[in-house]
Amino acid sequence: MCGICGRTDDPAATAVKAMNAAMVHRGPDDQGIHTDAEAGISIGARRLSVIDVEHGHQPLANEDGTIWAALNGEIYNHPALKAMLRERGHRLATGTDTEVLVHLYEDYGPDLVYALEGMFAFAIWDSRNGSLLVARDRFGEKPLFYSSEGGQLAFASELTVLAAGTELSGDLDPAAVDEYFVYGYLPGERSILSGARQLPPGHLMRWSAGGELELRRYWHPPSPSGAGAESTEDLVGELRRLLETSVRSRLIADVPLGVFLSGGVDSTLIAALAARESSGAIKTFTVGYDVGEVSETDVARATARELGSEHHELILPQEEVARRVPAVLSAMDQPLADQSLPAFHAIAEFAREDVTVAVGGEGADELFGGYPRYRWLARAERIGGVVPKPLAALGSRALAGALPAGRSRRLADVLAPREAMERQLDWIAGPRTALRGSLYGPRLAGASSRAQPVAELERACEAADGSVAGRFMLLDQVHWLPGDVLTKADRASMQISLEVRTPYLNHELAEFAATVSPDLHTSGKGKVLLRLLLAELLPDSSRRRPKTAFRVPAAEWLRGPLAPVLRDQVDSGCTYEEGWIDRTAASTLLEEHLRGDADRSEALWSLLAFGLWLDRLRGRDGIA
Amino acid sequence: MASPETRVLLVTPDFPPAKGGIQLLLERLIENAPGLRTRVLTLGQEGATEFDRDAGLDVRRVARADGDRRIAALRLNAQTLREAATFRPDVILSGHVVASLAAISLRRALRTPFVQYVHADEFRVRARLSAAAVRRADATIAVSAYTREMALAAGARPERVNVIHPGVDLPAAVPAAREEEPTLLTVATLLFRYKGHDVMTRALPLIRAQVPEARWIVVGDGPFRPAIESAIEAYGLGGSVELLGRVSDSERNEWLDRASVFCMPSRLPADGLGGEGFGIVYLEAAAHGMPSLGGNVAGARDAVLDGETGLLVDPTDHLALAAAATRLLAEPELARKMGAAARRHAEAHAWPLIAAKVEALLHEVASGRVPPAV
Repeated sequence: MCGICGRTDDPAATAVKAMNAAMVHRGPDDQGIHTDAEAGISIGARRLSVIDVEHGHQPLANEDGTIWAALNGEIYNHPALKAMLRERGHRLATGTDTEVLVHLYEDYGPDLVYALEGMFAFAIWDSRNGSLLVARDRFGEKPLFYSSEGGQLAFASELTVLAAGTELSGDLDPAAVDEYFVYGYLPGERSILSGARQLPPGHLMRWSAGGELELRRYWHPPSPSGAGAESTEDLVGELRRLLETSVRSRLIADVPLGVFLSGGVDSTLIAALAARESSGAIKTFTVGYDVGEVSETDVARATARELGSEHHELILPQEEVARRVPAVLSAMDQPLADQSLPAFHAIAEFAREDVTVAVGGEGADELFGGYPRYRWLARAERIGGVVPKPLAALGSRALAGALPAGRSRRLADVLAPREAMERQLDWIAGPRTALRGSLYGPRLAGASSRAQPVAELERACEAADGSVAGRFMLLDQVHWLPGDVLTKADRASMQISLEVRTPYLNHELAEFAATVSPDLHTSGKGKVLLRLLLAELLPDSSRRRPKTAFRVPAAEWLRGPLAPVLRDQVDSGCTYEEGWIDRTAASTLLEEHLRGDADRSEALWSLLAFGLWLDRLRGRDGIA
Repeated sequence: MASPETRVLLVTPDFPPAKGGIQLLLERLIENAPGLRTRVLTLGQEGATEFDRDAGLDVRRVARADGDRRIAALRLNAQTLREAATFRPDVILSGHVVASLAAISLRRALRTPFVQYVHADEFRVRARLSAAAVRRADATIAVSAYTREMALAAGARPERVNVIHPGVDLPAAVPAAREEEPTLLTVATLLFRYKGHDVMTRALPLIRAQVPEARWIVVGDGPFRPAIESAIEAYGLGGSVELLGRVSDSERNEWLDRASVFCMPSRLPADGLGGEGFGIVYLEAAAHGMPSLGGNVAGARDAVLDGETGLLVDPTDHLALAAAATRLLAEPELARKMGAAARRHAEAHAWPLIAAKVEALLHEVASGRVPPAV
């Protein structure tokens, strides 16, 4: 866990000190800086102690002090790596996972990434040849931002931390702002600030003293192939072997550890396997709400009983929402419009009272075909293949007019003849995309073309050539998962110094999932293999009502405790003053929602998250 | 000891011209057992007439129901009863447990003794039938110590289970020198996950980090090919892997002569049963003087002598696999030494030697003596 930073032109470590100071929340237990005065480079680290609490000071070096490393995250296979390194004659001085980096680097150079299983962003300074290597884990669980100017490189775990140690102007990148309003998150390499970029998942970057910067993709999720002739039984057997190994490796910690339990298939399966691996009762944590119909505390409680876990339940009351939501959204380093972010933050904070590490079910939907959208998109494609376009369009219009919202609206959409990628965009971006034209202010003029996001999505899954479901599962793995799901998990947990671990995001498991036919993954209610394994482990739990997603009563919150915050935003927020969003259009949208004429939560939430974040960036965070 | 009168009815669903380990094993056995009078009862298949004519073997074939292996197996067993009446064998050799039903009946009705061959996967796929076969057989031939363990676990009497490894065709000469370029070779049908192409893919970047010119040649085809291609693409290994698909015997032999290390890190299937019964292909690589890299589980432990004819590692551990492959590629003298030992290991498995063991066992069973366990 922790945060890292560095700069290649910082001989007095002035910038790195400032960056370390800006990320105390990521690592409250310790901090360290290594400066190579001759080369003029400094790297810094803050640490939340999870493994070898006593000796984990970072950055640390190899035997002769020529190679230095700083790590944010966890290398889960570090015990095996250490055994291997010792066998080869390396002398290891600490029990930390960071230390394997310097020795692996001695043996493999930048290709050491292929030896690592875990969530990580790290930096390695090699004084022998004056090169700096930074790398990010395969799925993008741990963040890394960088800026490069005049042949020099600066990097940091969060964007605001990078800004604290560089001359970034604070200008927003209009293309990134547009992306944010389309997707609700920042996918890919862009960051919201001009001049700063994100190192994409599965990439490494090498800076050399001459000022050269080399970016290389070392891994990406395999395109689902749907090969093989194995029985479902054999597939479940292989899944079990891999998931058990993954869970076991993620339970290694020298501090207390718990499991986020929603009651859905993903987290229940993880909790069930964790319970089998643990000698005592495991601790489980669930969040619920006092409004709306999305609370799932009953299901989680029943599951916890069946597991015999020490269960902790948090109800997030409406009055708490008014305080927590603005605090959490404004503290983000980049805006994120995921409505469940504050709830994730609340459950993380609640769990932090008892544990330092929590295990969650992130990634299961994307790897194992959980989202209903995969099935709908496949249906739409099939219909497009057999029904002539005019006929399909007619059917779509008739359905849309004749039936109430919900399933029939989706059916109507499926019938409408369109490219699959456009359809996907509408389904992930919801009503936000449609509103871009009317909501955008002068600063975003001309940014609301439809073609660009579609092209971006096409690029993101260019390697896929399988079925429709497989193509969009892959897209989610490289786009939505790092951009939204994992950003939420990292930032929400880091704000309160809790480490979140994700057993599904093990690359061997992901590679296995890609060998299973997407049609099998998405058949029935989706996640077929996970359901079958759960039925083996906890027969009662698998029969309970299925959970759909980690949802919050956003529409109710926006009409209730968050309404004044939004009103303040529209009246005096920087978003409107700087001309990003049109004040009148936003006001109309808000009033429509408050009157109950329409559910505008998707768009309003993205305005709220952006507005609170921008005000904080501009030093006006007293708005809540 | 040789008794030309010993009449053996070999019943098997698997026999040439179809390709495969069991097919080759049974064909070579009867070709190399002059002391037996063997009649083969097997299933009809494409090209069978020409094969039977050219091979000069006594082969009877049962028409196979289209694609349905169960009905084919029933027909095979039914025909065994008829064939036994006319051929009057001294002993029945059941090449696969699916052929054991009739053998069990004949043993009970006519007291014709029978010997059961076991390979490994049948204990997983047909557990009950396998248990019945090895419990009732007068002797069982297990192709490896691993398969013997499975037979014992299924209830076979230890003194009746004999380990006789498969044999190998020895090429006339091993190449004087192998290709300079460090090449890893895998030869396997792309049908089973347990063969370890996934773990090899993970290991290759680490191997190449230390032996940059290393490349991986994959011979074989099957339904897993798209998955392997997808993984290779995910690791950015396109330039260093060649998926050759199915190749001719001569091209295959050429690769066995050229490549540096044979790699097939077979693991146990997820349920812990089956997997590599022996792994004849390790022995074929050995016959060409090539060291092997295999998994330290199942039959590969007999096929590859760890530290002598190759290296065995935890087949789920790509780090260990990479380290072992790197060692063999980076230390040519070690690879050469192991290759030479491998050739000697293969020579000890020449078909005439293996067939003699089987022949001796069949004579003993036919003469009513309880054979000692090997």
